[in-house]
Amino acid sequence: MNSTLALAGMIMRDRLKAGRMMVIWPLLAMFIIFSSWGLSDPKANLPVSLTIDSAYDVMYASTAFIIFSATLGAVLISFDGISRDRITGVLELKLSQPMQRSKQAYSMIIGHSLAIIIPVTALNFLAVLIIGYRLNEFPSLFEYLTYTISTALLLLWYTSIQLLASSYAKDMGSSIAVGLGVWMTFTLLWLIMTTVVAGLMGISVTDLNSDEYIRIEAIIDLFSPNGVYHHLLEMNLDGFERKISPIIPVLAAIIWSIIPVELFRKKIEKMTP
Amino acid sequence: MSGLMEPVLSLSDVSFRHSITDSNSWKPWATRDGPGIHSIDLEIYSGKILGIIGPNGAGKTTLLRVISGLFKHEGKISKLSPQRRKIIGHMPEQVRWEGGSSVEETLRMFGLMHGVKEVDSILKTVGLTGKKDTPLDNLSQGMRQRLSLAVALLGQPKILVMDEPLNGLDPLAQRALSNLLGQLAKKGVAVIISSHQVAELANLVDRIALLHHGQLLAEGPLEAVKKSLGLKGEKADLVELICAATGLDPDEISLDLAEDSMLPFKRLEVEEE
Repeated sequence: MNSTLALAGMIMRDRLKAGRMMVIWPLLAMFIIFSSWGLSDPKANLPVSLTIDSAYDVMYASTAFIIFSATLGAVLISFDGISRDRITGVLELKLSQPMQRSKQAYSMIIGHSLAIIIPVTALNFLAVLIIGYRLNEFPSLFEYLTYTISTALLLLWYTSIQLLASSYAKDMGSSIAVGLGVWMTFTLLWLIMTTVVAGLMGISVTDLNSDEYIRIEAIIDLFSPNGVYHHLLEMNLDGFERKISPIIPVLAAIIWSIIPVELFRKKIEKMTP
Repeated sequence: MSGLMEPVLSLSDVSFRHSITDSNSWKPWATRDGPGIHSIDLEIYSGKILGIIGPNGAGKTTLLRVISGLFKHEGKISKLSPQRRKIIGHMPEQVRWEGGSSVEETLRMFGLMHGVKEVDSILKTVGLTGKKDTPLDNLSQGMRQRLSLAVALLGQPKILVMDEPLNGLDPLAQRALSNLLGQLAKKGVAVIISSHQVAELANLVDRIALLHHGQLLAEGPLEAVKKSLGLKGEKADLVELICAATGLDPDEISLDLAEDSMLPFKRLEVEEE
């Protein structure tokens, strides 16, 4: 376990020093810090039917920006986690080492995940301070931990999916195409997918506030990392009813945390240069 | 040879075929058997340098990867893959080291995968002490080769497997590497080195294994192999060796030879004095 974590730490430092962090840091800072500043303005007029009454409401509203920036950061950090090593020949060296392949796989996932989780968590902490300054109110410790852990899980899911995709990609082009394709599907196209599925199931899509639509949307969201992330965060929101048992999003989060990671481990165990 | 000492590793009837895309099938994922190695019998001895010689596509890299435990093969190798990875130092052909990590950090990362903490002596052995803080992006081709060699030397391997290590090195560096391999062999390390130039290895290796179309045509000391093939000149290049072993006419050699099919060559019995 020690060698797994030590290797993960080295991978994390290597990724944090990568040139692409020069793009990711400002992107994250702008989205996370500026959104918390703007959304905590008492005069803020939100385009959606979300009323902001508390610090946690601001944090919840700012997740829309986290989903855009932090998940893209996870994609940019890990899209070539395997494919670059394959192209440069470093993968052959890594696979020939005596360290167990499963440990190597876990190290890669932990290292790549931490390289995005640490900057996002640091900026989220700053965002909470900004919210406290603007609203004169801080989230409770439970709310803060729910928010931080859920965000870390979201980034872990994206990282493991990206590394899995990268392990199948033969070149950098297909690697980035798969990475951005997955990101766009979950971030931009999921609402369309939900509407299409609801329509095919005979549920009216003209009234998005109907019980039937809210329930089917809640179920389809379980198949998307972003959807599960919102499910987890909504557990702390008053007056939010998604018409499914609260245990189901927790189970979905566990499944999302296990399946891509285990698929990646199996892929690494069988991998050839 | 087998009567004199116990081999550190022996291969018996070892075969491996690459899976390649089947362009004749309507299924994009369909694969078929491609080139590889066929029914290889080989013994590796401590303190001896074995040169694997063959033209492009002969299966040199495949054979080295099978020995290093990177490919799942048919046939028998005296030690299982996980055991082999502990005693074999593998140096792939031309690793393109990239990134902002330093030479020392990179070597420490591989040391962690090998259970080795001390890397300073290896940096000194390969002449990279003065470059230990240099980022990988700033290394010359020769320095990159040295770093690959340093990784292969981690953990004091009993067998050193090197895929065309002399490529990209200037004559002085080639001589230095030859001297180093000689010293390692004197310490009891078995060295396996591949090349498509006989002259490159003539003064370095104790034995050669002549590989063509995935098959081992002859194995033994270079002089004995030449004698068995009826070659009398002091220098024999790869073309002469291959043609003498297969009966091909040098004037009829064409690029068509590089096909996937395995030709049924008979292995030459080399008489050693």
